[in-house]
Amino acid sequence: MSPDVVAGFAGASLPGSLVATALGVALGLIVGMIPGMTISTGIIVVLPLTFVLDPTLSIALLLGIYVGGMTGGSFSATLLNIPGTPSASATAMDGYPMAHRGEGGRALSVAIIASFVGGFFSFLCLYFIAPALADVALRFRAPDLFSVVFFGLTVICTFAARSPVKGLLSAVIGLVIVTIGQDPVMGTARFTFGNADLLAGVHFLTALIGLFAVPQLVDNMIAIARGQGDTRASTRVGSVLPKMADLKAMRLPAAIGSVTGAFLGILPGAGGPIAAFISYDYTKRFSRNKDQFGKGCVEGIAAPESANNAVTGGALIPMMTLGIPGDPVTAILIGALLVHGLAPGPLLFMERGDFAYTVIFSFMWANFFNLAIALAGVRLLVKLLAAPKALLMPTIALLCVIGSYALRNSFFDVWVMLGFGLLGIAMRHLDMPVVPLLLALVLGRQLEEHMRVALTGSSGDVMVFFQSPFSVLFLSLSVISIVWSFVSERRSGRPRPAPSS
Amino acid sequence: MKPITRIIRGIVAVAATAVLSLPAAAQTIQGPIEFVIPFGAGGGADIEGRLLAEEMSKVLGVPVVPVNKPGAGGAVTYTYVKNAKPDGRTIAWNSTSILTTTNIGNVPFEHSALDHIGQVEYQPMPFAVRADAPWKTMKDFAADCQKHPGKYKIANSTTGSATHLAAIAVANAIGCDVIHLPAGIKRRNATVLSGEADAMIAPLTGAIKLAKAGKIRLLAIPSPKRNPVIPDVPTMKELGYDADILLFRGLSVPKGTPSATKAKLADAMTKAAHSKAFMDFAAKNGFTVETLSVDDFEKVLQAEDAKVKDIMKTAGLYHSKKK
Repeated sequence: MSPDVVAGFAGASLPGSLVATALGVALGLIVGMIPGMTISTGIIVVLPLTFVLDPTLSIALLLGIYVGGMTGGSFSATLLNIPGTPSASATAMDGYPMAHRGEGGRALSVAIIASFVGGFFSFLCLYFIAPALADVALRFRAPDLFSVVFFGLTVICTFAARSPVKGLLSAVIGLVIVTIGQDPVMGTARFTFGNADLLAGVHFLTALIGLFAVPQLVDNMIAIARGQGDTRASTRVGSVLPKMADLKAMRLPAAIGSVTGAFLGILPGAGGPIAAFISYDYTKRFSRNKDQFGKGCVEGIAAPESANNAVTGGALIPMMTLGIPGDPVTAILIGALLVHGLAPGPLLFMERGDFAYTVIFSFMWANFFNLAIALAGVRLLVKLLAAPKALLMPTIALLCVIGSYALRNSFFDVWVMLGFGLLGIAMRHLDMPVVPLLLALVLGRQLEEHMRVALTGSSGDVMVFFQSPFSVLFLSLSVISIVWSFVSERRSGRPRPAPSS
Repeated sequence: MKPITRIIRGIVAVAATAVLSLPAAAQTIQGPIEFVIPFGAGGGADIEGRLLAEEMSKVLGVPVVPVNKPGAGGAVTYTYVKNAKPDGRTIAWNSTSILTTTNIGNVPFEHSALDHIGQVEYQPMPFAVRADAPWKTMKDFAADCQKHPGKYKIANSTTGSATHLAAIAVANAIGCDVIHLPAGIKRRNATVLSGEADAMIAPLTGAIKLAKAGKIRLLAIPSPKRNPVIPDVPTMKELGYDADILLFRGLSVPKGTPSATKAKLADAMTKAAHSKAFMDFAAKNGFTVETLSVDDFEKVLQAEDAKVKDIMKTAGLYHSKKK
């Protein structure tokens, strides 16, 4: 075992890191559970903290929220039939009927254990695939990286939207916004109108807070004003101890969910909701008792829940090896690492191998804590479902302002955040996904840098993008993904589930 | 007033009182000092700067708060500090960027628009190739490169940065036509390892880890004398080439800062630079602590400024907008 693995394991297992992971998991379970709050909201809440904390602690905290949030969503999906996060939508199909029969505890224990299986499987994928992929990625040159980023962006557009046109439009808006500021290669000011604040460009975390938190806050405020803010549901759970028969019934769905989730997690943009629905469909197809699905069967809970947790480890693979985020949460993780000067990418394993493994093992601990905290604390946690939102929302509003200010110590960014809030509300009403816009903000600069470095190296010859096999592969995949999304939209006409975190 | 605004104002008021009422031990500098870092958090400038600020805070007895104001190759920071009140409470953590960003025309002033406190450290910018590259020495590379003009690519941190200028100086000195690849700080090392670039110029702190791990070979440094951190790497001068450009870091303040205040800051800077924590960090990361008084630092600035201007003119990058 390489010394980096040992150092990484030690770093992730320090008492401080473990406490941070556990706190993150608890917070993630709560924000994931409360409808109207997502994993992104939870992360935004702790974001200002991560600027001052040690990178090991901040990453442990954030990974805890990521893992906990995926499981927390299933609590409200099961007990209230309202998915706490989009990723838990599929869980409600069988979780709620089971809870409705008075077996809420059984449904939750299946969900929690399936989450652990999926999460732990994706940890194994991360542990074995990421270092190997980083070695391959080290051979990537600027044209290859351009094509990988381009592929990532097109896949996000086609997955994230019900309509591929709206997805592509959203990404284009992001790409336009990202040109504001300093030219990444020459350093020339672009679209700044002589304003020094604009010279540094729009930070994607500022945009993220605006795009995700503000529309949610507005929705919640409207609900509160109309007196629909609080959910008074029965939060009686019953026993959460898993039964042997249930564990046996879970084997196949959990296996299908884990593999589907981890694979779809690696693809940028697919994310939890799609993985959950796909594995639900597959499990149903392979199951012997198809007629039980939708009526509250164990398999119908285990499949989507293992899938959405398996997505997390999968999504960490491209984030750590290529520096390419697949969803808003991994984008935030990259931002949090960059604040500490740790650039995720193939060199992370070579230059800071110990830290790379700290991330991987923190993710492992997060899955263990998720199992323990969720099983032990579920009765207590679900009581929070009845917490009045009128208290919660102002706190989050305040944290949005602090978070966007603290990023660069600039009040200008707070106005930018509010501006993006308005944009987010507008896009929500236009049924346009914000995820492509956000990821275009993250990836746009890389896209431009790689393209210009590639063209500088080839003295301006565009053929450089078609000479390397990697580059050709990813460009072809991009074309396929765009064509496929239009074809499938025309053929089915049925709206696909739109992911967001 | 809405309750929420009242709460925010209350928090701000309490926080402000807490900060302002900290004991002010220094007679000439009252209250916290803003230590402005021209580059993003986590980079070399940031990590070194934060440590120095911490040590200066211990000497001065007032908080020295590091604040990152990155953008436009340092232009955002230098503009901010130039326009700040000259009371010693706003300091720029400068570097060779104070010469490059001014001469490339990002700001309408030159480095002399600020007052300077002194130099803290410097580091060479080695010319590095991949460990399995065919060139064992700078002579090998020069000979090969002269035979194949326009073939080899040298990676740098960005166009117009100190590493780019050093790469131009080296290419000029060995009489060879190369492609300068503006790979960026994040990708610079990776482009050399992937073979996309044939060589790179990097600050020693950015290259030393890979050099120690045996992944890259340092062929020469464009400095007047060998560096104690890498004693085996020859200077360009020893090899008979004329290329000499430095990456330095030091402190600057707004023009018109009282000389008593400047002296106080210079004293704190010198003590902080020689603190055990900072010296240990320097030895580990490959930069050399060499504090210079303001007069000597002004001489360095002038000499380096002339070099930067010359190199930029040969490459067509000189666009000073000094008014």
